[in-house]
Amino acid sequence: MPQIFPKYMNVVARLSILSGPFLFAGAGVSLAAFFRADYTTGARTVVEQPVPFSHKHHVAELGIGCQYCHTSVDKSATAGLPPTRTCINCHQQMWTSAELLKPVRDSFEKNEPIVWNKVHNTPNYVYFNHSIHVKKGVGCYSCHGRIDEMNLVYQSKTLLMEWCLDCHRTPENHLRPLDEVFNIAWSAKDEINEDTGKPYDQKTLGRKLKEIHMVRESSVTTNCSFCHR
Amino acid sequence: MPPELKADEGQPEQWQTLDQWLDTPQFREMMRDEFPEDAPEWLDPVSRRKFLTLMGASMALAGAVGCNPSLKPAAARKAIPYVEQPAAIVPGVPLFFATAMPLAGGVATGLLVKQTMGRPIKVEGNPNHPGSLGGTDLFSQASVLTMYDPDRSKLVTQTGVSTSYEKFLGALKHQIEKQLPKKGAGLRIVSEPTTSPSLIAQMGALLAKLPEAKWIQWDAVGRDHLRTATTAAFGKPVQPVYHLKDVDVALSLDGDFLADTFPGGVRYAHDFMARRRVRLGEEAQEHGDGVAPEQMNRLYAVESYLSNTGAVADHRLPLKPSEIEAFARALAVELGIAGVAAGAPVSDLAKKWLAPLAKDLKKAPGKAVVIAGEQQSPAVQQIACAINQAIGAVGKAVTYTDTLNGPTTHSVEALKHLTADMNAKTVDTIILLNVNPVFDAPVDLGFEEALQSVPHRFHMGLYVDETAIRCNWHVNAAHYLESWGDCRAYDGTIAIQQPLIAPLYNGKSALELVSDLAVAASELAGASAEGPTPITGDGMEVVRATMQGVFKATGGSGDFDLWWQQAVRGGVVPGTALKPLTGLTAATTGLDTAPAATKAADFELQFKADPTLYDGRFANNGWLQEVPKPVTKLTWDNAAIVSPATAEKLKITTSFPLTGGEHGRTQTEMVELKIGDRKITAAVFILPGHVDGTITLHVGHGRTRAGNTGNDTGFNAYKLRGTDNLWHSASVEVKKTHESYLLACTQGQYAMESRRPARYATVAQFAADREFAQIPPASAGEYREIRALTPGTVEDFDRLGIEHPYAHDHGLFPHGAAGHDHGHDHGEKAEKKEGESAEHAHHGPHDTRLIPLNLYPDNPQIVNGKQASISYRRWGLAVDLGACTGCSACVVACVAENNIPVVGKDQVTKGRAMHWIRIDRYFSIPGSETMSDKLGARNILGDKRQAAAKLSDRITTTFQPVMCQHCEKAPCEVVCPVAATAHSADGLNDMVYNRCVGTRYCSNNCPYKVRRFNFLQYTDYTTESLKLLNNPEVTVRQRGVMEKCSYCVQRIRNAEIEAEREWETRPKDPRTGRPVIRDGEVITACQAACPSGAIMFGDINDDSSAVLRWKAERHNYGLIAEQNTMPRTSYLAAIRNPNPELVAVLAGTEGA
Repeated sequence: MPQIFPKYMNVVARLSILSGPFLFAGAGVSLAAFFRADYTTGARTVVEQPVPFSHKHHVAELGIGCQYCHTSVDKSATAGLPPTRTCINCHQQMWTSAELLKPVRDSFEKNEPIVWNKVHNTPNYVYFNHSIHVKKGVGCYSCHGRIDEMNLVYQSKTLLMEWCLDCHRTPENHLRPLDEVFNIAWSAKDEINEDTGKPYDQKTLGRKLKEIHMVRESSVTTNCSFCHR
Repeated sequence: MPPELKADEGQPEQWQTLDQWLDTPQFREMMRDEFPEDAPEWLDPVSRRKFLTLMGASMALAGAVGCNPSLKPAAARKAIPYVEQPAAIVPGVPLFFATAMPLAGGVATGLLVKQTMGRPIKVEGNPNHPGSLGGTDLFSQASVLTMYDPDRSKLVTQTGVSTSYEKFLGALKHQIEKQLPKKGAGLRIVSEPTTSPSLIAQMGALLAKLPEAKWIQWDAVGRDHLRTATTAAFGKPVQPVYHLKDVDVALSLDGDFLADTFPGGVRYAHDFMARRRVRLGEEAQEHGDGVAPEQMNRLYAVESYLSNTGAVADHRLPLKPSEIEAFARALAVELGIAGVAAGAPVSDLAKKWLAPLAKDLKKAPGKAVVIAGEQQSPAVQQIACAINQAIGAVGKAVTYTDTLNGPTTHSVEALKHLTADMNAKTVDTIILLNVNPVFDAPVDLGFEEALQSVPHRFHMGLYVDETAIRCNWHVNAAHYLESWGDCRAYDGTIAIQQPLIAPLYNGKSALELVSDLAVAASELAGASAEGPTPITGDGMEVVRATMQGVFKATGGSGDFDLWWQQAVRGGVVPGTALKPLTGLTAATTGLDTAPAATKAADFELQFKADPTLYDGRFANNGWLQEVPKPVTKLTWDNAAIVSPATAEKLKITTSFPLTGGEHGRTQTEMVELKIGDRKITAAVFILPGHVDGTITLHVGHGRTRAGNTGNDTGFNAYKLRGTDNLWHSASVEVKKTHESYLLACTQGQYAMESRRPARYATVAQFAADREFAQIPPASAGEYREIRALTPGTVEDFDRLGIEHPYAHDHGLFPHGAAGHDHGHDHGEKAEKKEGESAEHAHHGPHDTRLIPLNLYPDNPQIVNGKQASISYRRWGLAVDLGACTGCSACVVACVAENNIPVVGKDQVTKGRAMHWIRIDRYFSIPGSETMSDKLGARNILGDKRQAAAKLSDRITTTFQPVMCQHCEKAPCEVVCPVAATAHSADGLNDMVYNRCVGTRYCSNNCPYKVRRFNFLQYTDYTTESLKLLNNPEVTVRQRGVMEKCSYCVQRIRNAEIEAEREWETRPKDPRTGRPVIRDGEVITACQAACPSGAIMFGDINDDSSAVLRWKAERHNYGLIAEQNTMPRTSYLAAIRNPNPELVAVLAGTEGA
């Protein structure tokens, strides 16, 4: 019987066996990377809205505070979207005939709510609570990024469970003084360490604030039923 | 009955089903399997082939889902804010509104209803309302489901064609106009019984214009006999109100006053069971957790069916329905009441009861009471009135008030006249308000045919039911949660019924309809009309105007608006409880001649309101169909309930001829029941403890037009029921047919072998041995270790090396700091292996290896550098078996709180019911320990046991609610391959649905059998109205995941968040250093619902918590704690308080 494969195929066969682990590892890495990619997680994807509301304009340029619209952020699990009435408070005075604001005026006149597209979605089995994060010194920035630089809002973090756990394990990397929670542009360097007289680094300040704000230990904050119930 | 029985000499064996007691081979077979043998089989309508196809498709989709963010479950949701946000609403924070639900006889239970973003989703009791005091019943718990029921009537129809309410009203007005000249002679209004002052007033205004018209309050399971009896006794119908808080002795003459179907039952259970929670601890007694054993009340029950009340009674005497009157007469004679003639001779056993019972009743005037069933014959109820007067109960333990229902008549008589009038064609117009007489009227009246001779038939109801389809006009009614109203509690206190949501289908309430009619009649009659003018306006305006009258009548001063707002907000109108009538003397007129003794028939029959469907109105409520009926544990069916001896007589030899019996499947035989020319065929269910020679039928099943859920479940017992045998038929022909029937009975489904799970003792036994509850049969020597393995006990705290606040409580340790003493041993137990046997000689040497030898790892969480169970919150739950009446309100409350799906009868028979909490019902036969099990001897004892099981008067019943025990060393956790069930730092056994892959190993390894698996897609994801019902705080589970009790973790976490949010201002807990969660801030759904206060939840590590006081008690035990599971849930053994004199007399009988 003649040989099917020529002799040089032996090399190919050996090489393919040797490269097996690398292929496997490569596949694993690619999958892991794919799982975390913006494409999969929906991060950095601008979501279209019925009204192209610009946070950049309202927050950074006009200086309106987060809680002017998101009123329940420190009281409830949800931050709350503003009722049309909140928009109309100002827009009955200014830009009263702007084409972009027509859906807002229609909503108010017809008493029909504006249907916004949710940007930050967590699965139904996740029970995230805004109020406790705000009251423990986790700033808006930590999850929502530079909202003050976004025209249309996009999700700036992956919202994967590993990302949640990252902070639930080491909250000191994200804690800030309570009066800076709504300050998107804040950085630990803005605070002066009274002990050294130098600006703080996040880690040191975070550890201190963890004590002060009575943030619970990671052995508690990583319990399953902490977020899933 | 030896009162000084040593507990470790063994208590009678407990069993749930006869098969278990008789230890049949089928039962043994079943015990091997965790789930019924065919549970994993795919027997539902989806074929295996189709399943594979679907699986293939979903695999393909799963891939697609992963790649496309817009298909991810979390993505592409909408956020819809208000246009103008109401001031009170904070999105995501629920609101509670007070309202009230009328049920039995229109008597209300006050409620607080939880509303989430405008949707009422959960009912709690209103602590201010006298009919609730915070407790609820299963009907009110399930009422939210009725409101969202997709089968509800949604339209106003004329002969089945959609029309409008205005046209309906127009047609009705036209008829009223025609009736006005006749003074309404051709008009009849049939409504359900009502206590509503507004409705009674508006109806009065309507009838004032039409004086010849008649209003009938029809209730198929009504209280006509009470009316007749009190009229005979007092000259007018009155309403008895019982004050059970201070009652020492109560006798129930078939009066199931602890059940939900008894008006005021929730309050009575609250008051009566408070003195059946036994506490030794001085602190516990001071806090009112319970009473010392000597202060327990005592309950005697004389009844035919084994009711909830009978099941918790200290002494129970099963008598045939026909014998109860004779017994009541004999008791009256024994008490020396003049004018009551002795009836037929009572049985020997009953005779022995009389003297001790009479003595006990007379002992403390005002502290004893007799409660007769409201369906008992008028004579029995009249005798009860006479006895209550003779023993001095009137004015203290029982008071009488005016009736709550306004101007009523004998409802059956009224219905009889109505059908006669209808047949005589003198009725032109009939208005049927929320009643279903075509289904539930006595059959001999021929209501259905008579109704057809009325030309104009108007019906209002929640459903297009049996009556609705026979009417020309139907208007969809508003649910009580959708409409304004008012109703009275058992004592007359008015509650405002406040709507929680706008009517889903634009329904109208009976009050609104009657108001519209009254206004129309008044307008049509013109200025010349006499009588009161009706109040105009919508439901709220009518109620408000009525309350304005009440405000004046109760001497209200100040601003009415403020008073009204407080009444609506608080749910109770102050000062409206009816004043007790004074100067009443119970006459014994008519009691001087006893009915002639008749030859006893082979079989008697009695009817009862269904414990979960009531008169049938809740038939389409899946929660109520599926909740196992108290005592029988049947779901989705009623049955002809008989005793084991009667079953034998009928040649129905065993209740569970197939192994299925223990799988929730009771293969049973059918009998034909015949009374005259009426007959039905019904399945037989054998209930130990039921009286012999009698069949009990629950009415309410067998609906044909209830809806998709309730159609054709069970047997329509109404078909046997006529005006001559409303509640009781002295004779019934019973013929066994050759058909068999499959009943879904959950008891035995989750049997836990004979570990004596529900422990109980008499007061005397408890006094003789305070540790009786600690002794499981298998490991009697290690009771201290076992107690140390029960979190919250003094021994447990010693094991952990922390101070127990009740270690020195003299009530618990009368001989000094006993807890501390042996606590010391335990602290050093690891070193001290020998030399302890002498100290514990009484219970044998204790095995010090017990704790180190544990298979399961310690709770690994470290908080504040210490083991979490010392340094952090430690949630725990305690159940007082002595206070549990088995009413099952907790089961439905849990279903509502935790989005638990309904699975249907077919699935229940496969052991797949999803309830997170079940109420196990155990029977035992005192004295049976003498023939108890040496292994292997069981089959020899089979015959003896068979004989013993037939002694219905000796059956003792115990209820035990079982939910996840949240073991500190949980067997389920170690076997989960994906860590989907894991421990939290505060000791909860978390179930992570999104991790679960459905291996079911955890359930296999759970000794308590509390884990439930979603074998199929049980949750309804498609019906829009049912989506509104879901609690947004709890994940809705899908097929393939395991679930179980979470201790209402959503309530715990929300309380925690609230406490932690206030970290700056809240005081800190000294032990944990956390912002304190005050005791009572976290209340589980079952605890909140329990009318008798049998469940307590809290933080064991909080020294001031009630649950710690409960767990420190000496009769607190961990279920199967000897398996080292360290269950966070523990049970307080039931303490019974039998009358030593009666015990002696009965023991004498047995000796002779």
